[in-house]
Amino acid sequence: MSDFWWQVIDSVQSVLDGMMFGSIYALIGIGFTLIFGVMHRINLAYAAASIGGAYASLAAFQLLSAPAIVVFLCAAAASGVIGYLVYICCFRFIPTEMPLATLMASVGMLILIDEVVVHATAGMPEPYPAMFDDVMIDLDPFWVRGDLLMIFALSVIAMLILLYVLYRTRLGIATRAVAQQPSAAQLCGIGQERTNAATFVITGALGGLAGAMVGASVGILSPLLALPLTVKGLIVTVIGGLGSIPGAIVAGILVGGFENVFQYFRGVTERDIYVMLLLFVFLTFRPQGLFGRISTRD
Amino acid sequence: MDFYYGMAQLIGVHTLLGLSAYVVLLTGQVSMAQAGFFAIGAYLAGMLTVLAGWHIVPAMLLAAVASALVATVVGFPALRVKGLMLVVATLAFGEAVRIFWFNFDYQIAKGNIQVGPLGGEGFKQIRYFPENGWSTADVAVFIWAWVIAAMIALWWMDRSRVGSVLRAVGEDELAAQSVGINLTAVKVSAMGIGGFIAGLGGAIYAHYTTHIEHLNFGVVLATFAIAYPILGGLSSVIGVLIAVIFIQGFLVEVLRFMGDWRNLLFGALIVLAMNVRPDGLFDARATRTLKRLFGRQDA
Repeated sequence: MSDFWWQVIDSVQSVLDGMMFGSIYALIGIGFTLIFGVMHRINLAYAAASIGGAYASLAAFQLLSAPAIVVFLCAAAASGVIGYLVYICCFRFIPTEMPLATLMASVGMLILIDEVVVHATAGMPEPYPAMFDDVMIDLDPFWVRGDLLMIFALSVIAMLILLYVLYRTRLGIATRAVAQQPSAAQLCGIGQERTNAATFVITGALGGLAGAMVGASVGILSPLLALPLTVKGLIVTVIGGLGSIPGAIVAGILVGGFENVFQYFRGVTERDIYVMLLLFVFLTFRPQGLFGRISTRD
Repeated sequence: MDFYYGMAQLIGVHTLLGLSAYVVLLTGQVSMAQAGFFAIGAYLAGMLTVLAGWHIVPAMLLAAVASALVATVVGFPALRVKGLMLVVATLAFGEAVRIFWFNFDYQIAKGNIQVGPLGGEGFKQIRYFPENGWSTADVAVFIWAWVIAAMIALWWMDRSRVGSVLRAVGEDELAAQSVGINLTAVKVSAMGIGGFIAGLGGAIYAHYTTHIEHLNFGVVLATFAIAYPILGGLSSVIGVLIAVIFIQGFLVEVLRFMGDWRNLLFGALIVLAMNVRPDGLFDARATRTLKRLFGRQDA
């Protein structure tokens, strides 16, 4: 085969790898979007909480040497707890008409979570367990990395569970009602604060799973992962359209593939420039995002 | 003594950064791009004094004007969106600027060494102050002259019609629009003024640290830029100064004896401050008290 075809195959390969990794971005994007939908606030501590949850689950790995899947579930649980704490510290007691104060408080929480992690681990990266990382599926001419496939599969399962919770349970109905019209929801007897807190716990658990899968695919966990994950998650949220869950899923996978193909062609130092350019293209030509409505509220 | 002059320099530069975000925040826009404008000012001013051999004041002014132009140009597309979208758009722009300098090489030979920005290694040897024999105290005085000038200019602007227009847009865009205020013009001008001040701050920063690299201008710096006015309160420029002293002076320097625990307390204190004083440390009531104490009775 000629060089040209090898180039094509390699780029398709990197797009596929990136799309599978992008499912992590999709999970983080869903978290941002859900909290935004319900409270109309940004929770900048969200990605840090996800990484924090993954770190907490390391205890289960190091002390009990639990299997990887149990570690992942521990990460989700721990991150749910952190999500509740974030809600209490940054959103519960600050008046809703002061959006800047909640924004700043969540930044403070981001710093706090990061520093707790640095303090507990002395700033050293920690190895994180993976599943199927020695499996390579040969689909000539492409390869599928087993750990990436597992990440993709777990993300899809998590998204399906989330959609089930949102559309088939009372809690999900309450959440969507508060997102649509908070005062009308309250008149129907839906406790707004309880629903908000529940949203933080659910998105927290989702984020914890994402954090665990970042650890599993990279092989190590480092507190340095929190900021880039925050930036990518926010970009995914905007490209997908604010408040839109399908948008976040599609945008996450899109950004993942886009980023990886530019990493293949232009190297790791330049790849983020192209992700930013993609964002600007969307902001200029489709500011409401892929699936957002035209009338975006603040 | 040099330690205190160093403190004064740091607080001065960060006050300029905070003031640049303050102007934009008055119109209700959260701009995470201030670190990007700061970086543009820093690199351009450094290149003008080191590579072109300019005097520092024209170099600073030109760098600041360039930052202001970039801010204005960014303002037009970015201000089509608001709220979270604007935060993300400006955040992405700031990161794009940082990555641009990360990949930017432009070196010339000067004597027997190469000078100029060199990608990931950064821009070393911005030695205008030592070469011209400025002492640490001179630099501190120089920085504070700019800071005080900027604060007085903004204080005066706040009291004039311009300030009212900016605040009107920040309070309620619809109401502002219906009394005939051109929203785009106001927001873009605020971005431009903010870009100018951030450029000035960056220009000074490059010269007093003598070595800048792309990592200095990341998301963390952008967060600090908006943290100062929000934490200090948007009621007056003094809030920004108080917040800078609170963070850089109290949290970073006074708590240094706590070692590792300081960083833990840092985030926790920000969370606490926002819960206790959501309007900022120096809120409208504090401004009124200050006016009663020092100003005319009718003010």
